[in-house]
Amino acid sequence: MTRVLGDQWALPALDDLNRAFFTAGVLTLQRCLSCSHLQHPPEEVCESCQSFELGSFASAGRGRIESVAVVHHPIHPALAGNTPYAIVLVSVDDAPGILIAGNVRGTEPEAIEIGAEVRVVFESANDPDEGVALLIPQWELSK
Amino acid sequence: MHGQAAVAGIGESTYHERGRSPHSEFQLACIAIRRAVEDAGLELTDIDGFVSYLDQRNSPNRLARALGLRELRWTGTPWGGGGNSMAAAIQAADAAVSSGQARHVVVFRALAQGQFGRYGQAGGGYGGPGGSRMGGVFAFNGTYAILSPAHQCALHTARFMHDHAISQEALCEISLACYANAQRNPRALRYGKPLTRETYHASRWIVTPFHLYDCCPENDGAAAAVVTSSERARDLRHRPVAIIAATQGIGPPFGVFSQATLGSSHYRQVAKHLWDATGLGPKDIDVAQFYENFTGPVLMALCEMGFTSPDGVEEFVSNGALIGPDARFPFNTSGGNIAEAYIHGFEMINESVRQVRGDSTCQVENVEHALVVAGPGYAPGSAVVFGSPR
Repeated sequence: MTRVLGDQWALPALDDLNRAFFTAGVLTLQRCLSCSHLQHPPEEVCESCQSFELGSFASAGRGRIESVAVVHHPIHPALAGNTPYAIVLVSVDDAPGILIAGNVRGTEPEAIEIGAEVRVVFESANDPDEGVALLIPQWELSK
Repeated sequence: MHGQAAVAGIGESTYHERGRSPHSEFQLACIAIRRAVEDAGLELTDIDGFVSYLDQRNSPNRLARALGLRELRWTGTPWGGGGNSMAAAIQAADAAVSSGQARHVVVFRALAQGQFGRYGQAGGGYGGPGGSRMGGVFAFNGTYAILSPAHQCALHTARFMHDHAISQEALCEISLACYANAQRNPRALRYGKPLTRETYHASRWIVTPFHLYDCCPENDGAAAAVVTSSERARDLRHRPVAIIAATQGIGPPFGVFSQATLGSSHYRQVAKHLWDATGLGPKDIDVAQFYENFTGPVLMALCEMGFTSPDGVEEFVSNGALIGPDARFPFNTSGGNIAEAYIHGFEMINESVRQVRGDSTCQVENVEHALVVAGPGYAPGSAVVFGSPR
């Protein structure tokens, strides 16, 4: 699946905290191994019990649009051919309180509404540094 | 605290469109500082402290050398990448002076976005494949081209408008008020360039719900204020303008985006601590400046500071309620970031001092208390109340 922002748009630089989110192919959030607290974006410390022992949680990737804005002004030349695009914040059913940023595929940006139900999909790209396949979480409206 | 420290002098450079300053950023800082010190009736050798904010590039050492200071006893800058810490910088100077750790502290902001990069292009410089990448925590937004303060503020504003049935007109009113008030202010970059409702609505979208005129411009310039003790200030040139209290704050959840704070400007803690520290409330404020990098967050900040409610805010800002010295709610009386100049809100500090002194170009009658609310959306936020020394 090619990228909704175009294949010229910048990729994430993988590190130990974000690697699972951008490569797992399932919506991966961080879960504390001591107290089971879920947090996103990932951090080096559990924000609930301060443990350093952190694992992952595979979300089913179903949720709703909590906010949406449509970007018309391309802030970077690499986006110029891909405006307007929608930016969204999504809550997922199995991780209350967390918001995940993204874009929406397959729908005109102006038609995306707060409250709409969505499911996660993954865009493919190759990481030019590590040579691994990136699977970037994105969103589609649930039918 | 509580009025022990006061602003004795204010100054600013000429304000310029972005990239049009004939002076370097450092020279702009020196101009504003010299003028503030002169306005106070002090000498540069009286200054013994510098405070700024937003990753100020012009360091205290370099300024002290260039301006010929005798000694430097206090330096500081609040953390944070936005105008959120503008009033926290006043708080830091207040703490230094009130505790006797410095005598005359200059608080300032200087920026030349022609000389350096653009603040509005946060995280700029990455280039796609082969170029730089979205690293660290920025990867979770930047990969989706959620890049600038406009994008972040738009997502908060869109949810706030959705939840409270607020129309585009409410945002328009904020911009119209800034432009209207700037027509009285010859320092303002939009002086002589009034804005109409039609022009606002016809302007292009930057990111919904922000039209072009919902976004402040990018400018070059500098502004400065001299903070000293209220006691010393009494012997200086102007009637002192006391710092009644300046506070900063943020409460959990601390992240930029979380469900509990979506549709918020993050000002609830600031409001609580400011009203506690001053013993005042919204009804005691005679004139207010609200940092408007974008119009939408002002609506949220007005509610969180206690002036109105989410369901009442559209009516609160409508029908010219914010325009002129006799406004129902005197607001951004110099034109603010949108229409005076975007000096990261410091022009609002100087305007509040003018209001308490009685020499604003949009002077409100009998000002006892002037409020400045700093930038929304980034944490911790901050605010300050100026008034007559108690």
